[in-house]
Amino acid sequence: MRAAILLAFASLLPMAEAQSRAVAIRGGTVLPVSGPAIPNGTVVFENGKITAVGANVTIPAGAEIVDASGKYVMPGIVDAMTSLGFAATDLNEPGNAYTPELRAIEAFNPFGTFGAGKPGPIRMTESLSGGVTTMYIAPADASVIGGQGAVVKTAGENLGQITIREPASIDMAFGEPPKKAAASKQRDPGTRMAEVAILRQTLVKAQEYDRNHAQNPSAPRDLGMEALVKLLKRQIPARIQANKATDIRNALSVAQEFGFDLILDGGADAYEFRSMLADRKIPVVLGQISNPYVSNEEIPDRSDYPPPDETAAAKLKSAGVKTAIASFSRAFGTLAPAGESKWLLLDAAIAAGYGLTEAQVLESVTLVPAEILGVNQRVGSLDAGKDADVIILDGPPLSMKTWVQRVYVSGVLVHQR
Amino acid sequence: MKMFQRAALLCASLTVLLAQNVIVVQNGLVHTAAGPPLNNATIVVRDGKIAAVGTGISIPAGAKIYDAGGRHIIPGMLDEHSHIGAKPSDLNDRPMVIGPQHRFIDALDLHDPDWAEAVKGGVTTVTTGPGSGENVSGQAIVIKTFGDNLARRIVTEKGGIKWAMGPKSNERYPATAMGVAANLRQYLIKTQEYMATWKKWDDGDKKGTPPARDLGYEAMADVLTRKQRVRAHVHSATDVMTLLRLKDEFGFDLILHHSTEAYKVAPEIAKRGVSAVVMPLGDRIGVTDEAMQGAAILWKAGVRIAMHTDHPVINEKWLRLCGGLAMRYGLPEEEALKAMTINPATMARVSDRVGSIEPGKDADFVVLNGPWYEPATRIDLVFGDGQPIYDRAKESK
Repeated sequence: MRAAILLAFASLLPMAEAQSRAVAIRGGTVLPVSGPAIPNGTVVFENGKITAVGANVTIPAGAEIVDASGKYVMPGIVDAMTSLGFAATDLNEPGNAYTPELRAIEAFNPFGTFGAGKPGPIRMTESLSGGVTTMYIAPADASVIGGQGAVVKTAGENLGQITIREPASIDMAFGEPPKKAAASKQRDPGTRMAEVAILRQTLVKAQEYDRNHAQNPSAPRDLGMEALVKLLKRQIPARIQANKATDIRNALSVAQEFGFDLILDGGADAYEFRSMLADRKIPVVLGQISNPYVSNEEIPDRSDYPPPDETAAAKLKSAGVKTAIASFSRAFGTLAPAGESKWLLLDAAIAAGYGLTEAQVLESVTLVPAEILGVNQRVGSLDAGKDADVIILDGPPLSMKTWVQRVYVSGVLVHQR
Repeated sequence: MKMFQRAALLCASLTVLLAQNVIVVQNGLVHTAAGPPLNNATIVVRDGKIAAVGTGISIPAGAKIYDAGGRHIIPGMLDEHSHIGAKPSDLNDRPMVIGPQHRFIDALDLHDPDWAEAVKGGVTTVTTGPGSGENVSGQAIVIKTFGDNLARRIVTEKGGIKWAMGPKSNERYPATAMGVAANLRQYLIKTQEYMATWKKWDDGDKKGTPPARDLGYEAMADVLTRKQRVRAHVHSATDVMTLLRLKDEFGFDLILHHSTEAYKVAPEIAKRGVSAVVMPLGDRIGVTDEAMQGAAILWKAGVRIAMHTDHPVINEKWLRLCGGLAMRYGLPEEEALKAMTINPATMARVSDRVGSIEPGKDADFVVLNGPWYEPATRIDLVFGDGQPIYDRAKESK
């Protein structure tokens, strides 16, 4: 009886979007990222998961054959930092710079001008056109503690289905953006010193909160403190945006003092700390190489946002620092319906002129960000068992002339050019 | 005796100077922006100017020779819309709504470290000017990105007068597109009246008190006499049409800047011979694929187009990526190159000096290790006025 009711309910829900038939992409140059390129390789996926990748692969009977000869097949791009899908007014709470209780997923709206704009399955068409299949979403950088980030897919049946890790982090920002936002509202933190002092005080409170709740489980709950306790217990890491050396030093010192896991975002000057970052296994998510800053301001001052050093990725990687490159796409006034995430691969390609190999560029926007986001069991490379997030390109992946021709997310063809 | 020594020294240094004055770059794949690519071509530079370019050119004796080894050579690029060389806080005088009297040169910092970065990116000339925080924000300049001597660097101080469409504040007039248009129209009419007053004085016996001078109307008068052009920041097709109507009424030279939706009214722009600086904000701010195709649509309609970085919105040195993106979205490769060289030079009225590799022009050109539009291509050498102003081989790692 209960089963029948459940079935009746299920039939009211939209049909689950799922891969209905095995797919075999063959004849192309397969770039699994987790291993060397496979000329004339085949990728097979079934029920949303990759089942085989290689040069000699048995194609299941009845599979749809996709001819990729002359083309390149690689995993979907993973953009490790965006605020895409946020309305401009939803990027940060204006009144308070320390809001760990906020959840990015509760501002995320992949519809309207941003997504397909229609009821039905989610298709973040602009991101998909650039081959981006997974992204991290977080509040913007006007707060020191912006809130809790999440990892989502760019296509799928519904919001529940596309969320693959939440909360994924406590998302923070140091330096000019929180200071400037504070100045415009005449509240704290007005200086870098205040940014760090209030953060430390907040984390001390979280330690006390945790201690108090261990002794007295019925003590009043505080959502922000609960989120920070997850950070202190190392269940989730902190993402701290820090570009200048001062801010990076502050992030490293606070992380050490409170013993939480740290991921550095932006990281314009991070290479100056590369041996320490390597020793402490702190990854870096670099901002776009062609952009002079990572911020939400239209015309920021150069002295606040040093232009990125194009060799930063190579310097960090050669020192053994886990380094990803991300778009830092933000909702931005009226001009940004979709974000620049779609050009992430082309932007990262610049690094190939500055000391990275092609393979290193590709891993910087696929497997490495997947590892940093803690979702590499599911995405980031073409390996059997992972989600069938596969893109087909019509030319070498780092060329300006190359376009993403097909995008599969969990085995479903969600974008075609 | 001392005098004689000095004269001798001077003669000696002149001789050295003369010997160094002929530079030859040979074996290049030269994209001149004035014709088809020249394979295995030679560029001869004399006294900082291009003396000859082509194949089968004899090399003058005593010339300093660079072998390009078959690499690509393109003209030094020109960014028609930049804010390089001034602090962002100096770009807009926000209390002002119409301020054509503001001169970018009064905010210019020759020691800004961005200049060296621009050179590394192969950008040798820029039109740099005030921002878009006023409806008229002032006078841009056209300036080389290299050299210590301001007078030599300035190509022209008349780099156009910046207009910026759209209301700049909700709290004062004008706060609507209609208000902006009416306010500009009123200012142009006042400028006409100002010019008439002065003409009357100039044509008369000039006795008594001359009319009062107004620096704003004086500057805007240059627009009406076409000594200056209007460089108009504009995004919406509606505002493009407003500008075209004002041009029809007042007869000024107009160049559209950013031009986000200009492609929607391309024939209107083309039939008036108006040029457009395109690809709003490159990859900095996401625009739809449709808007990204605007460059190609305008070009097909016959509109002269140029790329821009809007530095510091996009770093000056990545101008070539903006051209690459235009190519990606449908502009032919050679047209995309022209949109970073000869086209902006023509718009900036400096095409007699820069913008292509042709005899008589300033010897500003760039040697690259691959096609200019590929992200991974590196710029190896940049020549400015015939001298190597960036040499990657000498760069410390």
